[in-house]
Amino acid sequence: MYMTTGIWPWLAAALTLAIYSFLYKDNPFYKIAEYIFVGLSAGYWASYMFWNYAKPNLFDPLLAPQSGSAPNYWNIIPIILGFMMFTQLFRQTSWMVRFPITFVLGVALGLQIIATVEGELIPQLAGTFTPFLRANFAQLSFWPAFGNVVLLVGVITALTYFYFSMEHRGAFGVSAKIGVYFLMISFGASFGYTVMARISLLIGRVQFLFGDWLHIIK
Amino acid sequence: MSALDKISNLDRRIIFLGVALAVIIPQFILVRLPVDVSEPVQKVYDLIETLQPGSVVMISIDYDPSGAPELYPAMLAVMRQCFARNLRVVAIGMWATGVPLGQRALNAVAVAEFKKEYGKDFVNFGFRPGGAVMLVNLGRNIHDVCRQDAYGTPVDDLPIMKDVRSAKDISFVITFSMGDPGSDQWIQYYHARYRGNLATAQTAIGAPKYYQYLQTGQLIGLIGGMKGAAEYERLMKRPDLATKGMGSQSIAHLLIIVLIAIGNVLYWIEKRKK
Amino acid sequence: MKRQLPLAIIFTMGVFTLVTNFIPPAADLNQMFRNWYMGIITFFTFLGTINLARLNAERVKDRTSDWYYSVILLVALATQLFLGFYKWSPDALREGSPFMYVYFNLQFPLESTMYSLLAFFMTSASFRAFRARNTEALVLLLAAVVVMLGRVPIGSSIWHGFPDVTEWIMSYPNLAAKRGIMIGIDLGLISMSLRMILGIERSYMQ
Repeated sequence: MYMTTGIWPWLAAALTLAIYSFLYKDNPFYKIAEYIFVGLSAGYWASYMFWNYAKPNLFDPLLAPQSGSAPNYWNIIPIILGFMMFTQLFRQTSWMVRFPITFVLGVALGLQIIATVEGELIPQLAGTFTPFLRANFAQLSFWPAFGNVVLLVGVITALTYFYFSMEHRGAFGVSAKIGVYFLMISFGASFGYTVMARISLLIGRVQFLFGDWLHIIK
Repeated sequence: MSALDKISNLDRRIIFLGVALAVIIPQFILVRLPVDVSEPVQKVYDLIETLQPGSVVMISIDYDPSGAPELYPAMLAVMRQCFARNLRVVAIGMWATGVPLGQRALNAVAVAEFKKEYGKDFVNFGFRPGGAVMLVNLGRNIHDVCRQDAYGTPVDDLPIMKDVRSAKDISFVITFSMGDPGSDQWIQYYHARYRGNLATAQTAIGAPKYYQYLQTGQLIGLIGGMKGAAEYERLMKRPDLATKGMGSQSIAHLLIIVLIAIGNVLYWIEKRKK
Repeated sequence: MKRQLPLAIIFTMGVFTLVTNFIPPAADLNQMFRNWYMGIITFFTFLGTINLARLNAERVKDRTSDWYYSVILLVALATQLFLGFYKWSPDALREGSPFMYVYFNLQFPLESTMYSLLAFFMTSASFRAFRARNTEALVLLLAAVVVMLGRVPIGSSIWHGFPDVTEWIMSYPNLAAKRGIMIGIDLGLISMSLRMILGIERSYMQ
């Protein structure tokens, strides 16, 4: 076994243990690590946004176009709208931030309506109404047929549970009650997967501490 | 205080220690339990196996360090399969903090293992902001969205992109995703317009939601969590990070089930007393 | 002007995007507006960074409680910004650069570890609070246990049927419930989007 001698893995390990110290109780080491993380993340995103998109796609086509290409003067509009975002920093001019926000919202919302209907609502509704039985009885299989029944019943009953404009009584109430059970199965399944996800994160850190840092495990 | 009361009021730091040991100890005792391959994972593998050499696969890196333990092993395994089959890989990312992880995976697999040439066999366009809106533009005109790669090379100077202009030229898209923007946007904004083969690798938290897209055929396959990555490693016959984590995952799950059971038993005993 | 013009903008862009989806000749114009969208979005990040710096600088200036942590934050922010821009080239973000060293060895472990804390708290919470108080909770618990066993290799060692039962649960009852929820959300999204485009919903203007 040998410990890594480079400073960077030691720094990484120190910060990892500083975060884990929170499990004992809140302490200054944890807080320092937390604030370092926030500062680094903000700096990271700003740098990436600038170099990966703002400069090559927004500023360069206008100010430094590639040889043989004319400047794209249309880019002045998004640049102006973008700089309007900074007016939010000053109380007197903060109302001007509405212009870029409404432009962005308008584009996004228009697309969202189309995408929600075309990409989600219609395919999902179509997928719910699948045949219980196929025409070829020789290929009849119980479990898929049963599953399609379960699917249809589950979607309808789950939807009735969320319909609060009508009192959950009688047949409607029974439907809503069945829907609750489907929802509980779904939440239980999600809980199981969430457990899996969180434990996986811990496994990743353990593999780093005992593998990359201490070199105890391969 | 009775023994039952002591257990009920167990200091949570003891539970934390139990979780830590449940994860750490199996890492030392290398017990390889067989990993069953599920149908959603098998479908991703089978689809890539049908692609002709030279076909273009687009990989979308839509996660950050908190999703890396689950998605990075899956990404390595999928990339290995792609490069083993001489497919061309175009990488793009909607999460800025995930793009370096994608580049690291490309360096480890494409360059170090398969000796592939950057710009000819694979390319990384880095981070593209805009999420869903970007995807709509991407499918229509890739060169307009990706004017240069992550290193500043103009797209027209990249040999791999000569015949890759729009969604029509991409044989398969796989997203490694853990939230928004991610697979939802690929399904609703890209696949709904441009169709094609789409699959996703998800962190385990998001995976249950995507079975509905599998059922409608909007997704070809789904690699869910670290277990999904381990299944893919098994299909590639190359156990790696995910497979090594399965022992810890198993013991930790057992521990949590036992704790839940104990908690419920104590609850029912308490209820009976009252 | 301060209210009417923004409302006109959101209405115009929303209706334009919706309608031109069905008019192929307008595709190029649509593409341009979407490019503008992506460009403007980058400024949201810049604004967020400036706001964060401003807030913490005020805390340092006013010497509020724990102001020294704000100093640490500002130093970290300044460091990463310096490393990202000192070369004035995208090479500053290349693998192997100081910027990336900081990302992989400081930011990466911090972020992963912070989220991995949840594994501990989730286990503790499960022990203390996950109780089968009624039939619904029992169903939830049983589903959770079956899925937790079905998604790990030891589950199939205990009983070979766990993985298949888990897949069935995920592919049918779980799918049905998630779809029901999703349809409800979609209908709400469409109605909210229309309300915002038509100017009925104006909370974004506060």
